[in-house]
Amino acid sequence: MKRFLKIAAIAIVAVGLLALGGSYGASYYYTSQLGQGCAGCHEMGGYVSAVHGSLHQKVGCMECHEASMGTKLRHMRVHFLGTPPETIRLRDKDVLAMASNCRKCHQHEYANWHAGPHSATYSQIFADSTHNSKRRMMEDCFRCHGMHFDGSVRDLVQPQNLQGPWHLIRSDLADQPTMPCQTCHQVHKEGTPQAKPATRISVAGTAGNDSLALFDRREKIHFAAASLAIPHLLEGARPVKMNQDARQAICYQCHAPRGSEAGSVAAANHWGPQVGSGDDRTPIGVHEGLSCVSCHFGHNENARASCKTCHPQMSHCGLDVEKMDTTYASASSQHNIHWVKCADCHQHGVPKMKAVAPAKAQVVPTTPGMDG
Amino acid sequence: MQSKNKAVALTRRQFVAAGVLGGAALAVGCKSGNQGNWDFLSDGQARTLAAICDQIVPADEFPSASQAGVLTYIDRQLFRHYRRHRDVYREGLEHANELSRKRFAKDLAEATPAQQLEIVSALEKEERPFFDLVRRHTMEGYYGSPRHGGNRDAVSWRMLGLDEPPVRGRAQYDMRKGATS
Repeated sequence: MKRFLKIAAIAIVAVGLLALGGSYGASYYYTSQLGQGCAGCHEMGGYVSAVHGSLHQKVGCMECHEASMGTKLRHMRVHFLGTPPETIRLRDKDVLAMASNCRKCHQHEYANWHAGPHSATYSQIFADSTHNSKRRMMEDCFRCHGMHFDGSVRDLVQPQNLQGPWHLIRSDLADQPTMPCQTCHQVHKEGTPQAKPATRISVAGTAGNDSLALFDRREKIHFAAASLAIPHLLEGARPVKMNQDARQAICYQCHAPRGSEAGSVAAANHWGPQVGSGDDRTPIGVHEGLSCVSCHFGHNENARASCKTCHPQMSHCGLDVEKMDTTYASASSQHNIHWVKCADCHQHGVPKMKAVAPAKAQVVPTTPGMDG
Repeated sequence: MQSKNKAVALTRRQFVAAGVLGGAALAVGCKSGNQGNWDFLSDGQARTLAAICDQIVPADEFPSASQAGVLTYIDRQLFRHYRRHRDVYREGLEHANELSRKRFAKDLAEATPAQQLEIVSALEKEERPFFDLVRRHTMEGYYGSPRHGGNRDAVSWRMLGLDEPPVRGRAQYDMRKGATS
């Protein structure tokens, strides 16, 4: 019996030491040659090859990916059992861990994102009693919030009713973002490293960013921004002039219009999706034709400095547009900045255009945070 | 004390020997895998298969089969659900290259598009089971769900006029009024 115990003890210690040594050895191996070590396992070959053709081609795997002992042992088990999944993807906690790794290099973008509404946490979104007392949570919530969560809404929040009180079953996610970097960025996306653009605001065209892509929860893959649809919206029966900036196609996936309400004029006339319905904020009126990112700066979506992009050069009345009675100046204004029209104030007719400053370029120099 | 040491020494030897054997087995196991960019295909086989698939779905205003990720789809399936077709692919791809070398003195992947079409047409007559299999898998990869590696960015669905993912407002339920969408 003693002999058996000794053998068992030695075996356990040896396995532990081998695993520990192997783990550190593997860490060194994996960090070498920008991922060639990882590509030694053929399951990873395609992914390593993809990142070598991407914006992050000069970044080693482990600068972004977590590689704890548990992860390595899990990878080894899958490798030797020959049971790799068809598509190797990150678990929810891997995605969240990666966000802090993104921060190491993209500090400015991370800070902007963190200060904006898209860094809302699981607690803020899923334990909001104001929302939860009016609407039941459902799987569709995950389409835009917590799209990387591994499980159903019942695995995240309980109770599933309108009475509450609600609590997160996965309490470790409470302070974690529901829309981390990989919601809108595909790190392995093809492309070449980019220099910072000289100008960051576009009112006319698209500033390319090869990493922009939407993570689709159903397919569990990213769709490139350029492949996403920009809807054809109507204002009543009138087609709205839509900006074709591919970047905003990602915005439309969540800030989306809805079908016509039953019993509405639009539904009775078989009109298509209406501008301003649902979560849509497509500009009409004086701002019709602008892209979302013409005003909302990259990672924090702050539009407070955006007026100067075009005004006063493009002002029709010479007034300080920032002080006009719109939701830009005051959230309680009746005139939503997305849909404000000249006739909203000039109800007895729009006066003739006053003399304005000479036209200047519509694109102004760098504004922080507009590279996403 | 002596007997204890003896027992320990013997076990250690056995353990080390087992460790060496195990390590060697693992190393051999790792080396026997495909070291290229694919799960099953070699890089050469992938180039040949790309030439064939791109004659079945060539590029126009939409991407060709290989551009849309069909090779990724086929490779993944040959490594998993379509293992039974491995031999057909190995032999078929080799035969395709042989035909190309015989007629044009170069591998199929190096041939011109017109020459590739000629070889693929010949395969359709001479290697019908292989050709039918590749055509079927090409269609699956090009038109199937992007989650399986093909139909990159749902390109074939857009070709058919389907937006993927669709633009749709959130499903809103006001429980005091019932479903409103």
